[in-house]
Amino acid sequence: MSMIRVENLSKSFGSLQVLKDVNLTVEKGERIVIIGGSGCGKSVFLRCMDLLETPDKGTVFIKDDELTSPKADLNRIRRKVGMVYQGFHLFSHMNVLDNITLAPIKLLGLSRAEAEKKAETLLEMVGLLSKKYMMPEVLSGGQKQRIAIVRCLAMEPDVMLFDEPTSALDPTMVGEVLATLRLLAKQGMTMVIVTHEMDFAREIATRILYLDEQGIYEEGTPREIFDAPQKKNTRDFIHKMKYFSWHIESRDFDFMQLQGNIRSFAGRYGMDEKRTNRLLLCTEELICEMLDYGQSDACVDIQIQISFDERDRCAVIGLRCRGAKYNPFEEEAEEDSGG
Amino acid sequence: MDIREIIYKTLIAGDSYITLLKGLGVTLQISLLSVVLGTLLGMVVCAMRGSRFWMIRQIAAGYIAILRGSPVLLLLMLMYYVVFAGSNVSAAIVAVAAFSLHMSAYTAACFYSAISASDAMQAEAARTLGFSKWQAFTLITLPQAANIAKGTYQSAIVTLIQWTSVVGYVTITDLTRVINNIGSRTMQPLFMILVGLLLYLGMAYICYGIFALVERLVVLKKKRRMKV
Repeated sequence: MSMIRVENLSKSFGSLQVLKDVNLTVEKGERIVIIGGSGCGKSVFLRCMDLLETPDKGTVFIKDDELTSPKADLNRIRRKVGMVYQGFHLFSHMNVLDNITLAPIKLLGLSRAEAEKKAETLLEMVGLLSKKYMMPEVLSGGQKQRIAIVRCLAMEPDVMLFDEPTSALDPTMVGEVLATLRLLAKQGMTMVIVTHEMDFAREIATRILYLDEQGIYEEGTPREIFDAPQKKNTRDFIHKMKYFSWHIESRDFDFMQLQGNIRSFAGRYGMDEKRTNRLLLCTEELICEMLDYGQSDACVDIQIQISFDERDRCAVIGLRCRGAKYNPFEEEAEEDSGG
Repeated sequence: MDIREIIYKTLIAGDSYITLLKGLGVTLQISLLSVVLGTLLGMVVCAMRGSRFWMIRQIAAGYIAILRGSPVLLLLMLMYYVVFAGSNVSAAIVAVAAFSLHMSAYTAACFYSAISASDAMQAEAARTLGFSKWQAFTLITLPQAANIAKGTYQSAIVTLIQWTSVVGYVTITDLTRVINNIGSRTMQPLFMILVGLLLYLGMAYICYGIFALVERLVVLKKKRRMKV
């Protein structure tokens, strides 16, 4: 039986059409990751599945219940769908335990003791049992997000939606949240995840949807989408995710901007401060070498490309230059920045 | 003159203290009724201020803007000498009506801004768990908004108590009026003004005290639950 079925869904904001006639069926046990550029409607699509945005057209079914029907008992259907936000949104006036037990007590009719016992089991599963009496404000982002996930789990949902669950986190805390998601995957939870963590997507997804041009532009297994995307926009997108590229056309190029962009690229992969600095220094050194010896004054043309391999955590800097042949090292024009 | 003599002359002779207590009672009565009615009316206006319908929102916004911006004494005189001039409604009721209107505009603005300041996404998160709109409001938004609003709300109450000192203008014998009367009758205005100040100060601090007590009780209740 399908968990979520979306048919001919359209959504626009004013004159901006975000989604147009989108269809999707999510089967039990599937783990779907939605990727795409910013503003492509990933989050809107996800929010439509819980009717947090009202679609202009189309239907959404959760199991057999039509969520978009005017007669639908939204509150009952939503119990079965968990939603995890980028910004956590824990109830700030309640401690961790109350955050988790509120819904089971009030909606499922559990006694306080039962609900707390269940909450404690779940907290133990994510390694946060010791925080049960803390207020959300004293927890770190990663801890808050794990609590938010537990808050959903306490309602025993059939399917969980994740809206960029790690985007608001410090790179050092992304891991703990992803580990929680892995745990859910292992337990067979049906999940729909919007994320920018490509390596995680590749690892966890059973199906990847690339959203573009107001709908599902391309879909397939992680291998199909990441290693052999068929369509142009998908290829461009995947390439941009994997590589940092920059073009230098004159001697007085914007060095600050280049540095800033490399920094955010490094940040995306959780590179620490020391390695980021080394990456910056190496890049700068290579550019200076090329500018001094490899380029004429009239024509400067350097194409920089940096990639980061998540598996061996190596950064590779490549430079392609027009002009006289020059090799800053003796043997090769590439440098490994450490690892 | 000896201080004991002054106290005797102003507060005790001729049962002055009973007159004083009566005045205090009138002030308390008008204040209390206005706070209760004003708060209830304020909640209604606040709900209107957040209504789905443009017209209702605008009406509420206009109501708040006008009543909050106009001096309560003029409002009181307008109601006593114009609106209820021909009727035989007692001055005290007119006063309660005027102060309630004034209080309602203040509380509506205070509650509305507190609700706007609380995190709407937390209420949405509650909806995704399956809570109804009303449950999300009462369980999530309301407690947080109350926490934000309480400071402004209690000073609004204290300000209201102080403002009731103008009801003498419409023939009501409240605490301020009594103090004035005794002061001029006994030729001890300075002493009586000091007595009046202390009494108003006392009321203000009792009010703050009640708020502090309620807060303490809420915290205690939370702590007790954690220990069990």
